Amino acid sequence: MAAVLGKASAPVREWTGEITANRTIMGDSYLVTFTMPEGLAQHIEPGHFVNVLPSGAGSFDPLLRRPYSIYGIDAAANTMTLLIRPYGRGGQWIVDQQPGQSLNVLGILGNHYEVAPRSSHLLMVAGGVGAAPLKMLSEQAVAQGKSVVYLLGARREDQLLDASELPHAVEYIVATEDGSAGHKGFVTELAANYLTWADQIFTCGPTPMMAALRNVILQHRFGKGPQVQISVERTMACGVGACLGCVVETKKGMKASCVDGPVFDMESVVWG
Amino acid sequence: MSTQTRASLQVDLAPHNPRELILRNPVIPASGCFGYGQEYSHVIDVQRLGAFCSKGITSQPRAGNPMPRITETPAGMLNAIGLQNPGIDAFIKKYPPIWEHWDVPAIVNFSADTVEEFAEMARKLDDVPGVAALEVNISCPNIHAGGFCFGWDARMSADVSRAVREATTLPVIIKLSPGAVDIAEIAAAVAEQGVDAISLINTLVGMSIDPVTRRSRIANTTGGLSGPAVKPVAVRQVYQVAQAVDIPIIGLGGIFGLNDALEFFMAGATAIEMGTVCFSHPVAPIQLIDDLQTWLDAQGCASIMDIVGVANPQFRAGKDS
Ligand SMILES: Cc1cc2nc3c(=O)[nH]c(=O)nc-3n(C[C@H](O)[C@H](O)[C@H](O)COP(=O)(O)OP(=O)(O)OC[C@H]3O[C@@H](n4cnc5c(N)ncnc54)[C@H](O)[C@@H]3O)c2cc1C
Ligand SMILES: Cc1cc2nc3c(=O)[nH]c(=O)nc-3n(C[C@H](O)[C@H](O)[C@H](O)COP(=O)(O)O)c2cc1C
Ligand code: FES
Repeated sequence: MAAVLGKASAPVREWTGEITANRTIMGDSYLVTFTMPEGLAQHIEPGHFVNVLPSGAGSFDPLLRRPYSIYGIDAAANTMTLLIRPYGRGGQWIVDQQPGQSLNVLGILGNHYEVAPRSSHLLMVAGGVGAAPLKMLSEQAVAQGKSVVYLLGARREDQLLDASELPHAVEYIVATEDGSAGHKGFVTELAANYLTWADQIFTCGPTPMMAALRNVILQHRFGKGPQVQISVERTMACGVGACLGCVVETKKGMKASCVDGPVFDMESVVWG
Repeated sequence: MSTQTRASLQVDLAPHNPRELILRNPVIPASGCFGYGQEYSHVIDVQRLGAFCSKGITSQPRAGNPMPRITETPAGMLNAIGLQNPGIDAFIKKYPPIWEHWDVPAIVNFSADTVEEFAEMARKLDDVPGVAALEVNISCPNIHAGGFCFGWDARMSADVSRAVREATTLPVIIKLSPGAVDIAEIAAAVAEQGVDAISLINTLVGMSIDPVTRRSRIANTTGGLSGPAVKPVAVRQVYQVAQAVDIPIIGLGGIFGLNDALEFFMAGATAIEMGTVCFSHPVAPIQLIDDLQTWLDAQGCASIMDIVGVANPQFRAGKDS
């Protein structure tokens, strides 16, 4: 069951994408859609990410690209959508760009989630904008006839993903810290209910959330249990394995999360 | 129609060395910012580069520093990677056999804890097929001198340079540390040992504190500053070194595009390296080769050498060849 996850293998290009749509979502976040070069769409898998330049041509500040998971693609229109929550100046600059303006993008980067052919029950556990890669994964899984439970945790109701963003067939269950919608508390508390049901678990969110999920899984685990794939978040510079700024300590040594990840088997990672 | 021939971008970085380091253009991705060349080989046409410097290696494998290792600063970044690398023996087995089949020359960057270890590593690399030249990183602590940085002391810098020179006939480039009080003094001491070229600058030691956590943003506390923020310091130091030595200089520090590179050439650099820019703009080194060609042609220059040192009245570097 513990499939060995692959390394980054999709083609990597630096391109200028024209923004075709930009709208707010999840309260304080944005769905930014832009064009991509021909021939990339067919290589994109859920969990892949791109590095977006957070400043205009000729500017050196902010300097480093910002990594964002791919939320969705439209193969017919040849566009890609990112779900972006701005934390600082870089993220803010990106979401301030309007349709007609352009973004400088480097991708496709990283490895991706891997659904085992015999898995039919898939549990997604998302925290905040960690919703992004799991949305694309859910779409793909539903299209392949698999059953998906999608758990999302947020601080308040207005920071949840609108149910219309997910395929109808997905069972969507939410938790809010203030109890304004769904379960009052953490999304990881909901996960316990699905551990025996799930063949595989996929998660993305803040590191403390994934650590809490791991504790829930370890407490309830009997037998071998489902394989859990996590998407980690590290500060990155290059995105292609060249700088070693983004490493994750695994049982097999230091791995660059941009090429050996961002998706790792939960138990391959050394938890502090 | 103009029948003018195009300007030559070719540079000779080891004019006195029979093993030669002649590059078809003066653009070189810098160590630590280009992996082992392969990482970018599916992003850009690596074979068009003048050369590339590989990630710094050490004699033993190193796991590197704890995370976080990098943080952004105004027009720059701090890094404390901690020289994560597989060690020289694993390195020699893995990468040079690939480079041997490449057109682009590979320059191997390395550092060590003692003078003897520098020499030992140079000896091991001397006849490895696929290795075109050595770049010696002396911005590291000398464990026999209480951890004082080799590159901040003229005698220690000279000792390393001499030891490496005696250990190999490969072209040797000594990479200087900008933390030295008198960079020209260090450069002169290094050049006297018969090395082929000097590169500068390495990163400047810096620090950044997060007011929320009240801690350094980097686990190692301090890190090396690079990017456009360091460029004026780098240009000044290249200018000073070009007055102190007559061997070729490779300039770097914050080069993002044509105008940055021209500053270094005019200060006295024969070639340039590009580090941090590779993260933001992987295509920048290739773009610079094209932009240099266009600019030199428009200026009516016969060669890149026509502009080397033109802004430096006491320029000596490379003038003896
Ligand atoms: C593989 C990968 C995929 C990612 N996918 C997404 C995605 O789909 N959507 C998305 O919105 N983000 C995603 N992120 C996170 C995103 O890259 C960062 O939030 C972004 O780089 C921050 O840039 P900024 O300019 O907004 O903030 P900065 O100026 O870099 O930071 C401002 C402040 O906010 C803090 N901060 C930055 N990022 C975060 C964070 N994520 N959580 C909490 N505090 C933070 C910083 O420590 C700093 O104090 C992903 C990260 C990785 C590594
Ligand atoms: C992430 C990172 C890793 C680096 N690793 C090395 C190294 O291993 N050896 C070395 O000599 N210089 C190393 N450097 C320094 C660069 O080669 C270069 O000297 C410096 O960054 C200044 O150039 P720049 O402003 O173009 O980046 C590193 C720099 C960065 C940003
Ligand atoms: S971001 Fe540079 S190695 Fe991962």
